[in-house]
Parts: sequence; structure tokens; C-alpha cells
Amino acid sequence: MADLPPQPARQVARIPQQDEADLVARAVAGDRAAFGLLVERYAGVARRVARAVLGNSEDADDAAQDAMLSALVKLEQYDARRPFGPWLLRIVANAATDRRRRRSVRRVEPLDVGLTAGGPRPDTTAERRALNERLRQALAELPERRRMAVVLFDVEGYSHGEIALILGIPEGTVRSEVFHARRRLRVLLVDWKEEG
Amino acid sequence: MKDPLPFDHRPDMVLGDALRQALDPGEEGHAAFIARVLARAEQVRVMSWDAVLARWARTGVAAALVVALAAGYFVGRATAPPTTVRPTVPDVLLAPPAHPGEVEVVLASVIENN
Repeated sequence: MADLPPQPARQVARIPQQDEADLVARAVAGDRAAFGLLVERYAGVARRVARAVLGNSEDADDAAQDAMLSALVKLEQYDARRPFGPWLLRIVANAATDRRRRRSVRRVEPLDVGLTAGGPRPDTTAERRALNERLRQALAELPERRRMAVVLFDVEGYSHGEIALILGIPEGTVRSEVFHARRRLRVLLVDWKEEG
Repeated sequence: MKDPLPFDHRPDMVLGDALRQALDPGEEGHAAFIARVLARAEQVRVMSWDAVLARWARTGVAAALVVALAAGYFVGRATAPPTTVRPTVPDVLLAPPAHPGEVEVVLASVIENN
């Protein structure tokens, strides 16, 4: 199997904490534009995290929306000395988990061996879509906490410590969850790369 | 493929980008989502103001009731006619008897019984 290319540290655009604290303070005071900015900045990550938990994009959007509104109501409880992102994403993760528990749980079919073994390199849109679907299926097979951990770490660029805060678990457990999730998901990507 | 190190602290760019594409709902839906959240946020604000006003209203009604009861009590007390003071039991026992002979009668009957 081929090795993955060298991976430079991901540069994640972070919002300065003071800026966030100011925005939150203005939002608490009733500034709609400030809350709007917070929603714009965090809508993407909130939707992706919710989708990682729920799989279904409509459910994920509903959960992300509920979480944002819940955050608006709880804004006064936010501790401005801490980063806003993990605080919000904890609410998102809880909202998504609650929604998943409430809805009728669909059994996830085991991943097709043929799909896991790899297919054509997804150069076209259709093939890209197929790869996305395979990744979502593989993600759905992972335990929920593992799913969130790998998405928060590799997609959103949060540190192990921040993810520990978001998920309410020890940092060592986050490392372990990311490790196991990566091992499973990388198989798909490497097979795809080799086939290509 | 080499297994990743358990304590690899660097995000995996390749896996991260692939997952991002798989999970990203798309730009068009993004704008609609933000608009929906902000519209609902307005409703939440209105609802929270209603809740605040309702809370104030309940407190106000309770305070008005207390004030009305207190006012009624004081007004009633001020306008009531002076009532005769009812003597207490010790007062009655210690007061000199209206008819002095009664005490002797009682004492005589007690002595006779003994």
C-alpha cells in the first residue's frame, strides 16, 4: 500500500478570543448583527459536526439550528475567558446526540466489501459523490464519539484539549478515538488512491 | 499503508479534506440555513421578552395583592370603634372580688367537705 503524502499541520483560521467575547457581549445586549456574525462564523462547523453524528443532512441542519438557538438563550452563561467555539460545539454535539436518540434509529448496513476494497478514482462529479457517500457510510459505522472526535480534529482543526472540552472526555481518550477512527477511514482513502 | 502513530498530534490534511467534502452541505444551503436560524432567533427574542413581561406581571400582581391586604388591614383598624378590653385570666384572679362574701362562702364549703 502506498503511504499517504506528508501532511503539514493544518492552518485553521481561528477567530481571536477577544473578538468573540465582544461579539457575545453585544449579542447578549440584544445586538442582532453580532449574533448574526457568530452564526455565520460557526454555521459550517456546526452543520458538519451535526451531520457527522446524524448522517442525514436535514436532521443535522435541524439539530444545528436548535443548538444555535439554545446557545442564544444561554449566551449569558458563556464564560468569556474561554474560547467560544468549543462552548458552542458542545451544545451542538449534545443537540445532535439528543436528536439521534429521539428519532427512530435506522440500522446502518455494514459497509459493502466491494466499496471498501476501492473503486475507480473519483475524478468526475459522480465518482466524487460516490466517494463522499462511502466516507459517510464508513463514518456512520464508527461509534458516535469517535466520529465527532475525528471530524473535530481532522476537519475542523480543534486540538485534543479543545475536543476533550467539547465532548466532556479526557484528552487521552480523544487521542485514542481519533487514532481508531483514522485507521478505519484511511483504508478507504488509500484504496481509492491506489486504484487511481 | 503505515498505521498512524497513536499520538500523532497533527491533523491529517488528506483525510480532513475528504471528510469535509463528504460532510459539507454546500454553499447554497449554507445561506438558507443562516437565514433560517436568524429568523428563528427573532422569534426566540420575542418569546423571551414575553416571558420576562409575564414574570414581571406575576410579580406585580402578587405585590399589588400584598399592598391591598395591608392597606385594608390598616384602614380597617383605623376606622374600627374602640373595643372594650377583655380582662385576662390573671387579672380576674388578682382583682378584688366584687362581692367580698363570696370568698368566705367558698372557703366554708371547702372546709366542710374536708
